[in-house]
Order: sequence, then structure tokens, then C-alpha cells
Amino acid sequence: MGRRIGRRDLLKIGAASAVAAALGGCEFPRPWVTLEPHVRPPEEQTAGVATWYASTCRQCPAGCGIIVRTLNGRAVKIEGNPQHPLNEGKLCPRGQAGLQELYNPDRLQAPVRQAVRGSRQYTAITWDDAVAALRSGLAAAGPRTAVWADFAVSGHLLDLFSRLSAALGAPPPLVFDLYTALSGYAALTAADQALFGRAALPTYGVEEADVVLSFAADFLGTWLSTTHYGVAFGSFRQRPLAERGYLAQFEPRSNLAGAKADLWLRLQPGTEALVAQAIARLIADGGAGPADRVARAQLWAPNVDPAAVAVQSGVPLEDLRRLAGTFVTAARPLALPGGAVTGHGNAVEQVAAVQVLNIIAGVTGFGLSPAPPLADLVQPMAAPYGEVLRLVERMRAGDVGALLVWGTANPVYALPPSLSFVDALQQVPLVVSFRPIVDETAVWADLLLPDRTYLESWGYQVVAPSFGEPLVNSQQPVVQPLYDTRATGDLLLEAAQGISAAAAALPCANELAVLRERIAALPPGTFGGVGADVQWARFLQHGFWQSAAGPAALTPPAAGLQPVLVPAPSFQGDAGEFPFFLYIYMPVLLSDGRGADKPWLVGSPDPMTTIMWQTCAEIETNTAIKLGVTYGDIVRITSPYGEVEAPVYVLNSLRPDTIAIPTGLGHSALGRFASREAEGPNPMVLIGPQADASGTSLAWANVRVRVTRTGRSVALAKFENTRGSYGGFINQSFPDQYL
Amino acid sequence: MVKPTEAQHKWTMVVDLDKCTGCHACVVACHAENNVPIRNKSEVQANRAQHWIRIERYWTGDPPAIARFLPMLCQHCNRAPCEPVCPVYASVHSQRENLNLQVYNRCVGTRYCNNNCPYVVRYFNFYDPYFPAPLTEQLNPDVTVRTAGIMEKCTFCVQRINRAEQRALVEGRDLAPDEVQPACVQTCPPSALLFGDLFNPESRVAKALAGNQRSLRVLEELGTEPAIYYLKGGKSYVRF
Repeated sequence: MGRRIGRRDLLKIGAASAVAAALGGCEFPRPWVTLEPHVRPPEEQTAGVATWYASTCRQCPAGCGIIVRTLNGRAVKIEGNPQHPLNEGKLCPRGQAGLQELYNPDRLQAPVRQAVRGSRQYTAITWDDAVAALRSGLAAAGPRTAVWADFAVSGHLLDLFSRLSAALGAPPPLVFDLYTALSGYAALTAADQALFGRAALPTYGVEEADVVLSFAADFLGTWLSTTHYGVAFGSFRQRPLAERGYLAQFEPRSNLAGAKADLWLRLQPGTEALVAQAIARLIADGGAGPADRVARAQLWAPNVDPAAVAVQSGVPLEDLRRLAGTFVTAARPLALPGGAVTGHGNAVEQVAAVQVLNIIAGVTGFGLSPAPPLADLVQPMAAPYGEVLRLVERMRAGDVGALLVWGTANPVYALPPSLSFVDALQQVPLVVSFRPIVDETAVWADLLLPDRTYLESWGYQVVAPSFGEPLVNSQQPVVQPLYDTRATGDLLLEAAQGISAAAAALPCANELAVLRERIAALPPGTFGGVGADVQWARFLQHGFWQSAAGPAALTPPAAGLQPVLVPAPSFQGDAGEFPFFLYIYMPVLLSDGRGADKPWLVGSPDPMTTIMWQTCAEIETNTAIKLGVTYGDIVRITSPYGEVEAPVYVLNSLRPDTIAIPTGLGHSALGRFASREAEGPNPMVLIGPQADASGTSLAWANVRVRVTRTGRSVALAKFENTRGSYGGFINQSFPDQYL
Repeated sequence: MVKPTEAQHKWTMVVDLDKCTGCHACVVACHAENNVPIRNKSEVQANRAQHWIRIERYWTGDPPAIARFLPMLCQHCNRAPCEPVCPVYASVHSQRENLNLQVYNRCVGTRYCNNNCPYVVRYFNFYDPYFPAPLTEQLNPDVTVRTAGIMEKCTFCVQRINRAEQRALVEGRDLAPDEVQPACVQTCPPSALLFGDLFNPESRVAKALAGNQRSLRVLEELGTEPAIYYLKGGKSYVRF
């Protein structure tokens, strides 16, 4: 450590140098002096000791463990929980931005009533009035009550909602949100039920794999578990003493996984499953590779003509043949069915077509998420889209007396307007929103009873997908509730006390008692502890419960199933009138729109387009030249179901016959950042209301569109205008020395 | 008298371009840790966006082109071009931390340093930061909020380095290898970012760089001696 030189020393040096100069010729003892900041910047002053709380991230359904740094009662930083097996201390951008859900300036601060739906004129009410209104509404609706929650709902709250619904004689809560819909949760679960006899989400050991074929799975951005697969990708790419993993991405538009892929294949939208089947067929016919894999391929591969698939998909037959060879000879190959696979045709068959490749591979890197460690622990299951249609039908017919909407589900924003969900809402006498911020659905609600955000509330989550071992996350308040909000669990318990049918089903005093009762029943976990209090404390301290038994093997049993030949994709809209395919995707920052109210997310550049505060219609370079449009020109995108206007972003990594539009913006509510500062289209406007052929998924990937110029344009807020490190704009070619 | 090379630590970052997925977790983590303001749309349209760490997006090939990501942040040069041009010594090479730091209360906003930085990683506060309440609650009390007219840039999370050093001092021990992690490195899901003391052979950066054929530094030919090493993208073994 160098000796510090203070001001006095400097004066002495000055004096000494004056003397030295006077003496002349004498060597100055110090050839140079140390310059230090005159005033110590505050980075060197520490303001107190931080307290860290372990909890669970709720920014997507995955359930990463977080630790939150709090100082003086303020939450100042969220980090990944280093002990948590899912994310190993890491966190994605959405998880990092969770603080801005807590400290959003536009949160609803107290319960309100809206006399005229959609008027946005709110009258403050007391919590007693709120409970009374909820109670009378539930009592009046009785079996005509409906509950709608998003996938990131706490297990105990879903449990309470279910018990309440059952006591009232109403159907169980519907778990549906755009994130799980576009990721294909329901179809993945249904396909695993069909293939392996168990309804569970699939898990993929990407970290162990050496060859991964990804069928439009954005596993580095917004698919099943962004952070887990991000961590896994690090090992997949560079691991000591092992080969660098090889990734082939089939997708019309390159997302993050496409950008990182060794081979990106711009296949025609909708042909992903066909390509998977062609690869299976080529393995069966090729004969190369291990005999057991070839035998399984001959058993499982449907009778598809690879040459025809090559023409349909636009992937050269030679590439298909080489990929089949790469896949079958790899040590641990994997195939990932992404969300776009589930957006058209028969989603379950399409997922199965891809999963068959994993069955052929017969490796241990692929399996099903384990069941909850206790039957009593409630785990949300993504509802098939067919159930959504049935509920909307019931609403329209006047069969729903009260609709309770919890969390980020936001059906008014998430469902295609062609479904006329708002009209159906008008037929429901009582609509209650529990979201801590006024979203598009809350605008059409009568009662807005804000719950606390996930950083202020209790809960547990059975992690799904979990990789090999059951995990139960704990969620605890890291700060005092900011506003006059009330936990929805407590609210339900209180309201139920006045309803004769429900009081017996919900006898608990408060939600914490419900939660502790459930957690106390867990078998001893890795963190041990004797007695319910110690186990509970360890559960909160470490942020999760993990079975002491350790991880189980991942390999699922392959049940018998006849291979189904997936038909060629069919699209809504005539190819002459609507010449372009529409490709909707969830961007990594905004995801399904729940990032739009957080400046850290909506004001950070999108990785591919570098655009902030906006979303665009992305058009391929040569197509843009043909259409005569360039960056910022506003175009009208018309589908058979609706139209949006959006500025153009000219993207290099896209098919020429495809228009890509990200979800996330186009908000009319959700606070100032989402609705006023940010601008962009909501692509769900262009989608039809139908389910796919299996009834599990919204058919969101089968629409054609046309593009017309409006003659107007806007300035794009894009970061690539900034000068990069190589002189020109960032938007230029990559320096060769990095390849 | 010590020479600059006799500093105790050589804080170094390693960026593995083969692992970086461009997910922007580092960008958001940096905003959260260092109170970096988010610039609104009109400010971004004026090319005044502000991110201490940014993911530069380049293209390879003609359309259809593949995107390549390059995380870019202050390179903490040993011979930093931003330092000699500052008329008020606000851009200094801190002797104690052996880092290139900005002294905010000296800065008078000449922007000479910005002009002279070949990496374009210094950001000028053209506007006052804007945190509508209660977003002020998210601010990290360890880090100053900079006002308009001030130049700012990545500090390698110097507040974390200082905290760790103080903790080690109180506990009467040396810093453990990899005890200090900046916010970006801490959160990076694929561990594309590594941080540590290059003087300590046990640190992850020293191990990652030892004999690594993929390592290079950006614009090394300028002689700036950056403290950030990039590991270039690996070629896939194609078993076609």
C-alpha cells in the first residue's frame, strides 16, 4: 500500500523543491508525486450494515431464488440466491428490475371503487367496505364465481382461492397469462401427459448436452427458465476438458439463442415440428449412429418425406441430413420445443414431434419436472386455452356473477381483442382486480383491492420446471408494505367468514397460518432443523426447501404412443391478400408486458434491435427496400383480425417473408412508463381468438399480415445510433479478430 | 515511494464472448447498483442514452446476418487517454485502488475525457437524473447520484471493493480471491463476466487467462493497456 500524501506533505514537497531549485543540480528525491482525490468520494463511505432477506423472484413463472439487500428499511438491490439450485446466484434482467415493481410511482395506494367501468374515476373506500363488498359479491355469485390468476401466484393463495371456489361450488381457479401461453406451458404439459403418462413440464439438461437442436425455443431469453438455462449455457459453451457444445436454432427470426447458435436456420414459420419429424425419419433411414437410437427412430419416426419437408421449410435437405447425423452420433443430444411450436395446428402433436427426438436420443439430460413433495402443496398448472374460451363463453352468457382477477394475468391486454373479452366482462356483475397497479383489466373492474407486491408479501412456490429434485421456494416480505394495501389471502379469509358456505372451508385466522401449516408438513430438508419453528426459520433464511434425498434421475419412461404425422401448417388469411407471415415473440426485457412499467427494462436497449421505450414492426433488410420503408417509417400491419400501426425496424436476422413484432408494449394502463412514455403496438390485436386443434393453446403463430405505408415516420430511440468502440455506429459488422 | 505498478491489486475483468448471451442482466444490475439514471425517450433519441455497461450489437455476414454481442464498459486502462486531458484532475488514476476513477465534485463538464476515450464508455449527464418518488427508495446509498453537467462511467463497483477491503481489515485477513464481485459480474447468468485480482494467481481471472489462446484486448494497438480481457467466440467443432 502506497503512503498517502496529504496536503501538508505536498506543501513540504513544494518547499523541498524550492530548496532543491535554490541548491541547483541536486537530484530531487522524488521524481513524481502521487495525486489523489482531494475529497474522498462517497463510494468510500459505508452507510450502515445491510440486511439481506432471501425470497423468490416473481417476474416470470420460473421461481429463481433471490436475496434482497435492505438498508434502513429500504430494498436497494436484488441479487440471485447463491444457494438456490435453479439460478445459482444469478439473475436475469427482469429479476434485477423487481425493485421497480415495489417502488413504481403509479402503484395503487389504497382500495378503490369504480362506479362506471372504464371511466378511471376511482373513489377511495375503507378496507372494511372493501371486505363487505367482496363478501356480498361472492355470496351473491356463489357457484357463479370465477377466479383468474397468473402462473406466478403463491401456492398458498391459489390454495385459498381453490378452497373458496370449491366451497362456493364454483369451478377451480383458472391459471392463464400471456407469458405461459406464448411459452407453450399448457401444450408442453399435455404432450408429456400423452407421451410419458404424467402431466408435468419437461426439463432439459442443457449444461450436460453436447448437441442442442432448438425448435424456436428462446431458452436464453423468455422460455421456461431464463436464468437456469443462462447458467446452463455457460457450461454448455465452455467447460473444462470437454467439447464445446453445438447449438442449432430453427427459427424465422433470430432471438438470443439464434444469435448464439452455431447454425441458425431461417425456416418457414410453422414448419418446426415437420423439420423435427424429418430429422427423426432421416435418423431411422440413415442407419448411422448407435443401433439402439436407430432402432428407436425406426419405431418412433413417422413416415414423412424429408425432401418435401426441406422444400416446405426452406431448410436444405443436405442440412437436415447433416443435422440428423450430428444428433444421432452425439453423446448427449437434446431437442427443445419452443413456444412458437405450440401456436398453431395441433400443439400437443407438434410438441410430441420434437420430444420424440429426445426419446430417440434416450439420454439422461431430459426428463420431467418432479411432482411436489407433498400432495397438499399447491402447484399452479397453466390452464389450456380451451378453458379460457369456455370461461369467456360463460361470462358472455351471464353465467359468471363475480370475476376475481389476481396478479399479472391481465386478460384484457393479453387476450386478442377479436375474442371481445371486454364485451364479455360487461356481462359480469362484479369484477374485482387485486393487482398492485392499475392494469388494463383493472380499468374494467368495479373493485380494485390492491394486493402487496411480491417483495412485501408471504408465499411459497413449488418450482416448475425443477431440474431433478423438488424445490419449494419461500417468499417473505423484505420491507414494510409501502401503502395501505392488504394481502389477498387475508382478504379472502376475512370475506369468507361472512359467507356460510365458505366459512367452514377457510377456518384459518390469517394467511401466514395457512402458509406455516403447509410448510410444517414438509419432510426434513437439506437445511435440517428440529421443531416447526426452526424449520420455518431455516425455510425463510435460505429461501427454499430442498429434499434431503437429493436429485432423482431425470430419464422419464417412454410410454407407447403411435407417431402422428404433423400436417403442413395452415395460416389465417389468404397468401395473396396477406403476403407476410406474422411472427410474435417475447423480448427478453419486456417479456409479456410485465416489464413495461419498469424504467430499467423499458428504458434499456433490446439486445437485437437496441431500441428503448419503443417496439417496432421488424422487417428484413431486402423486404424493407422492396416496400420502400426504412427505420422509423410508420407502417400499418393488417391481419384478418385487426390492424396496428408501428414504426419499422430494419432487421438483418429475419426471414424476408416474415414480419416480427414483439409483445410487451401497447399499454393503455399500467402506469406512466408503460402507457405514456413507452409506445409500440400490441401484436395480440392481430391474432384470432381460436384455440389450436388440441384446445390447449392460443393459436397465435398462424396469422398472415400485409404491410402498408402510412407516409409518416418517427425518430427511433435506438442505442445503435451511438458511436461504438470501433469508430462508427454500433450497427456495423463485427471486428474479425473476435470470431 | 511506490510506483503505480506496485499497487496491491490489479482489478481485472474477463469477458467471454462465447458465453455472453446478450441478455442485459448486467446492464440492469449496473443501473440498480450504481444509480445510473434511465434516460427517457426524447433523451435517447438525442443519442444521450446512459449505461455504464452496454451490450454492443454487431453483425456478421450479409443479410441474413448473425448478431454478435460485445459487452463494453470502462476498460480501466493503465495508460488511460482520458486522464491527461482533464484540466481539473477529475479523471484520475486512483493510487489506492489502482483504478481509473472519476471525482464527481471536481468535474466541471469539459467532456475532454469523453472526447479522448477510444472506447466511448464515459457518459455525460446532459440532464439531471429523474427518479419520481418513491423510485428514490431504490437508490443505493453507497453511491452518489450525479447531477447534470457531470461526467460519469463504470467504477468496477469501487464501493464493493472498498467494503470488502474494510471487512477484510476488520477481520484481520487478506482479501479472499474473488471476494469482490461487481454487480454485472455477480448477476451474469452464463458467467460470461469474471472479475478479480490479476495479481492473485488463485483468482478466477488469473486462472481464466492463464495460457488462454482466445484472449485479446479491445483496441490494444493504441497502447492503453486495458484491464478488461475479452475471450473471443469459439469455433464450433462441426461434426457434419
